[in-house]
Amino acid sequence: MKKALLSGMLALSLGTASVLVGCSNSEETSADAASNGVVELTLWHAMGGGAGKGLDAIVQAFNDSHDKIKVNAVFQGSYDDEFNKYKTAQGSDTAPALMQVYDIGTRYMIDSEAAVPVQKFIDAEKYDTSDFEKNILNYYTLDGKLYSMPFNSSNPILYYNKDAFKEAGLDPNQPPKTWAEVNEDAKKLTKKTGGGQTERYGMSMAIYGWFFEQYMANQLQLYANNGNGRQGRATQAVFNNDAGVAFVDWWKQGVDSGTFGNFGRKTADTQAAFAAGKTAMFIDSTAAVRGVVDGAQGKFEVGTAELPKTDGAPGGVIIGGGSMWIMKDQPEAKQKAAWEFIKFMADPKTQAVWHTATGYFPIRTKAYDVQELKDFDAKYPQFQTAVNQLHNTKPSEATSGAVIGVFPEARATVETTIEDVLLGKKTTKDSLDGAAQKVTDALGKYNQLYAK
Amino acid sequence: MSTLQPALEKTALSPAVRRRPRTKQVTTAAHYLVLLIVSLIIAFPILFALSTSLMTPAESLSSPPHLVPSHLNFTSYHNALQAAPLGKFLLNSVIVSAVIVAGQLLTSSLSAYAFAFLRFPGRNLLFYLFLATMMIPWEVTLIPNYLTIKQLGWLSTYQGLAAPFLATAFGTFLLRQFYLQIPRDLYEAAVLDGCGHWRFFLTVVVPLSRPALGTLGVYAFLQAWNMYLWPLLITNKTGMRTVQIGISMLQNEEQLAWNLIMAGVVLVLLPTVLLLIIGQKQLVKGLLAGSVKG
Amino acid sequence: MNAVVRARRRGRELWSAGPFLAPSLLLFALFFFYPLGKTVYLSFFLTNAKGEAKSFVGWQQYAELFASPDFQHSLWTTLLFVLLTVLPGLLLALLLALLVEKPLRGMAFFRTLIISPVTVSVATASTIGLLLFNPSISLLTYGLKFFGVPDIAWLTDPFWAMISVSLVTVWMGLGFHTILLLGGLQAIPQELLESAKIDGAGYLKRLRHVVLPLLSPTLFFVLVVSVIGAFQSFGQINILTAGGPSRSTHVLVYSIYRDAFFNFQFGSASAQAIVLFAILLLLTLLQFTVVERKVHYQ
Repeated sequence: MKKALLSGMLALSLGTASVLVGCSNSEETSADAASNGVVELTLWHAMGGGAGKGLDAIVQAFNDSHDKIKVNAVFQGSYDDEFNKYKTAQGSDTAPALMQVYDIGTRYMIDSEAAVPVQKFIDAEKYDTSDFEKNILNYYTLDGKLYSMPFNSSNPILYYNKDAFKEAGLDPNQPPKTWAEVNEDAKKLTKKTGGGQTERYGMSMAIYGWFFEQYMANQLQLYANNGNGRQGRATQAVFNNDAGVAFVDWWKQGVDSGTFGNFGRKTADTQAAFAAGKTAMFIDSTAAVRGVVDGAQGKFEVGTAELPKTDGAPGGVIIGGGSMWIMKDQPEAKQKAAWEFIKFMADPKTQAVWHTATGYFPIRTKAYDVQELKDFDAKYPQFQTAVNQLHNTKPSEATSGAVIGVFPEARATVETTIEDVLLGKKTTKDSLDGAAQKVTDALGKYNQLYAK
Repeated sequence: MSTLQPALEKTALSPAVRRRPRTKQVTTAAHYLVLLIVSLIIAFPILFALSTSLMTPAESLSSPPHLVPSHLNFTSYHNALQAAPLGKFLLNSVIVSAVIVAGQLLTSSLSAYAFAFLRFPGRNLLFYLFLATMMIPWEVTLIPNYLTIKQLGWLSTYQGLAAPFLATAFGTFLLRQFYLQIPRDLYEAAVLDGCGHWRFFLTVVVPLSRPALGTLGVYAFLQAWNMYLWPLLITNKTGMRTVQIGISMLQNEEQLAWNLIMAGVVLVLLPTVLLLIIGQKQLVKGLLAGSVKG
Repeated sequence: MNAVVRARRRGRELWSAGPFLAPSLLLFALFFFYPLGKTVYLSFFLTNAKGEAKSFVGWQQYAELFASPDFQHSLWTTLLFVLLTVLPGLLLALLLALLVEKPLRGMAFFRTLIISPVTVSVATASTIGLLLFNPSISLLTYGLKFFGVPDIAWLTDPFWAMISVSLVTVWMGLGFHTILLLGGLQAIPQELLESAKIDGAGYLKRLRHVVLPLLSPTLFFVLVVSVIGAFQSFGQINILTAGGPSRSTHVLVYSIYRDAFFNFQFGSASAQAIVLFAILLLLTLLQFTVVERKVHYQ
């Protein structure tokens, strides 16, 4: 009714103009409707660069082998961009049928009741998930239900320039294991020019909230209360504890000493700095390993190592990355088609190809039996680090990661906080207290809307 | 309206300047030098984009950075076109901008006519109401407009991209000022002749106000072409993205392949650069013709 | 008698005016007045991610805004950004217009180069900016090194981030503003300049007493347009700095976008938009009452 009124008013006011634009672009929407027996479905994702090409190849292979289903993959920018775009498109006919959502979007996806838990399809056809990585399934399982199908899983690792290690008199096969060792090595690796300008930093990290979250888990501490929001709805952010302060302090001291570089928030900029020889070590997702190794080709040799930890920390990582959600508002035929595609993505063979193309590790152990993967990992041992790290992590509430509805906002808040500290605007404790308070406030508002 | 002075080509040197030839030569040389330096600085970012687009990926990512490629390498253009449908993005931008320009010219020339020639009760009040919309920053209406377009099912459509921008108080104001300069006698005579408002509008007012329409058109086009936030919000399909969104998506997607990204930038700049080179005179003339006399 | 005729005629003209005004009025109603009302309404509510008003909170979001140091910071950042872009931009455009106004041989070439920024859009300009201000492979930093300038953290230092964003903004506007001022310059009657010259007035004197007064309407126009543009700047900030580092480029418009389409608190974003509206209203009035008085209309 309201819609009709609006249209009426517009048609009236636009006259000729609306005739001009009347050629609405229904191509994509109308094609969606299964006209010739082919079910078309739109997939939204956030995979750029090499990972994007890898995903496109999977989609292509799927479309070629399924003549009744056609998947259209649409890149929507960063995870944040994609997720926000989804929220704004929700309920319109431009929303996707299948969507890759980053780990931290899980709580919102559940609360908005927009998706069908994949558990439904798993139960319906007794799909076997016994060889799936337990740590990965843990992340996406709540109330005993697997909500979405993991696809691209990663964790952060340390990358280092072996040639720079040799040049600084360090053993290129002995990367630092603790924060103290990182400090020592970084000091030796830092190179200054005569003018006092830093030509190469020892160590760098992008100001990315994910690293902070990882180091909370690494020290076995919670990010939010109620068991990281897994026992019950989280109502309070608790990351302003000693573990949080210790991590940011470590970072701050490194920057202050001039041995840690700061290349901003974008991980790509820190990768570029590493490739250009401006930093000798950096921390980033294992998903970057293919790009980093390729980028250093002919310049230097890249080593990878497990995340350096603070003394006495048990270690361990959260599974980062994305999973696939099937949308509820879609017709059943599309949901089924989406499930077919998900199974294709989870296939050991696909996972093996995906792993070698990017650095994301396979979500199931059967993939390690694939010959191509074995050959590849033998050639590029750098790809092995994250897998070991995954298997060495003991499942716990801390390492399962927090599920909170305002996670994107929380992450951005933590990033600003880290900037404030690194730039010397605030002390670590004050700054983290403020950030935790902000996130707690946001949780309050969120729970007011969604808690039942 | 005769204030428009196509003075660009004015080349006659004044006698006062001719009086002291040597000083003049020196100043002219200095002038050229300043011109050269300044224009190179200003055009530098665009020239550097062009230069980077011809580098190899490694060159575009190296430190210290390269100013020019070691040899011309055109593959990045091919790759950029493969990575994103830049042609489609351009087409979308052209369509949306053209619709917005046409819409604004239409709606504001009509409403300006009413305000300039017709006397009706509440005219001033209504005119102030129009002016008030100029002071509403676009961001204030952003959220509800977004919800409206979504409700209409117009996300990712041309009409959704263009509709909120089809009327403009600024344009109405600009054209009204111009119409007011049209001698009122013309209007009186036309009305006495029994020639209706529409005929007077179409046969006299519109032809006379072409320069002002040109100014408004260029201004509206630049605004529409540059739109970023609105298309960012309402386009969800690759095929419906405008150039602005497309190019930042390409940057997002290719992050480290600067040669490819810059190839995309150059391709996207091409139409407007050509337009500038071909139509520089008309552009400048058109803009000054509208003569922003307020 | 006469009054009756006039009243009748005015009545008739109301009918004639209808179709002329209808398109604009309807569009304004739909895309300006209704949304303005809706924004005011939303500012009193908590909303869900779909933009539906969920619970009434009265003035709470305004109170929270004015108590929030982040919001105050955004206000100051906005003002700083406007100052850094509008006046230098205007001055630079004026100098450029004076520089290319002279009828020299080959001027068309230089003119094309100098107004070339008119061809770039916010996305292309910012993308080029990302490369030129890149933290590790910046040609700009490298070039400045030759002049003894130490490394500049263009986008990762709060001070320089603001400068970088402003530089891109000024550069983008240069082309259009120069064209407008060039147009204004060329509309100045040549006879006036000639007679000033014959009176023995030097270049600067002519500039001050003849050119600038006659150019003032155009200058005023450019001022108004660029103030509005500066307040609405979004793309360059979103692409170059995303409001960072440490909120140093978190201008009001970016803050509205962030709250609305990232944090999905349309209510709080609406309250901020209303504040922005109030500021712009004040500023526009100020411009028209104070500055325009100095403008010399022919």
